[in-house]
Amino acid sequence: MRGGPRGGARGTVSRVYLYALLSAAPAGETGVGISHEPLRTVTADGLVALVGDVVEPPAVSAEALRAQDTLVSRLAGALDAVLPARFGTVVADDAALTQVLARRRTELMQALQRVAGCEQMTLRIWGERSAPMPPAAAGGDGPGSRYLAGRRHAHERARRAAELDGLRPALVGLVREERIERHDRPPLLATVQHLISRGASARYRATVEAGGALLAPWRVSVSGPWLPYAFGETAA
Amino acid sequence: MSPPTRAGARELLESADDSLLDLVDNLLNRGVVISGEVMLGLAGVDLVYLRLQAVLCAADRVAERAEP
Repeated sequence: MRGGPRGGARGTVSRVYLYALLSAAPAGETGVGISHEPLRTVTADGLVALVGDVVEPPAVSAEALRAQDTLVSRLAGALDAVLPARFGTVVADDAALTQVLARRRTELMQALQRVAGCEQMTLRIWGERSAPMPPAAAGGDGPGSRYLAGRRHAHERARRAAELDGLRPALVGLVREERIERHDRPPLLATVQHLISRGASARYRATVEAGGALLAPWRVSVSGPWLPYAFGETAA
Repeated sequence: MSPPTRAGARELLESADDSLLDLVDNLLNRGVVISGEVMLGLAGVDLVYLRLQAVLCAADRVAERAEP
């Protein structure tokens, strides 16, 4: 479906609010969005976007965040893959949306394939201090080499959660992909996002709870299942 | 509709329970981002600020709970 900016009440111009990218158009009614606007889909070269027409994007509130998560989750249950959009994403009109989707089609399709049949669990790692990393390799004698080695070490460290090493054997077969964000602000040390198969969250929780004692002195808390919010990143 | 404000974001986070903090983190810090002609509609909300506040708020809450 294509269209230009639509006239709203009293001649105001509405914009297109993006809720999610879908693997297919929902079979039944899409219902209404968080501003009570009717939801519709915009299809662009195999990509399906779930959108609503709004005059203003919704204000940030607990209710609005919950409402958006709930309505996308409801539709996700009947679809193979859903990439939830970041809250507050608006585009000028359908033409602008289809243009962006067409330009980034390959990477967005890859992201949809990545999350197909999956949901997300969130682990937070707590403790007084982070697990030590192995020391950086010497990296040669010159200041340039040492600088590059230091950069590489920092880069690798940002993608490691050694605190979870005791749990990893038990998670093999459960976790499809992982994203790590280090905070290093004790007691919160890191947030780890795990992509798991839909329906596996109870087994995942039981595994984490059973293996938690192995992680001392670190503790973990778990939440989910969530829509795969952390796995929609594209090639960038 | 009143525009979203930094004060509103602070109020949201300060009143948040743990499940809401994960919701805030997921919906405001993650989720697929479409760049290009698309704009984030959250005028007045600094996402970096929100992120920091969410993390600190979560950390403070767990620290309190962990104390005997």
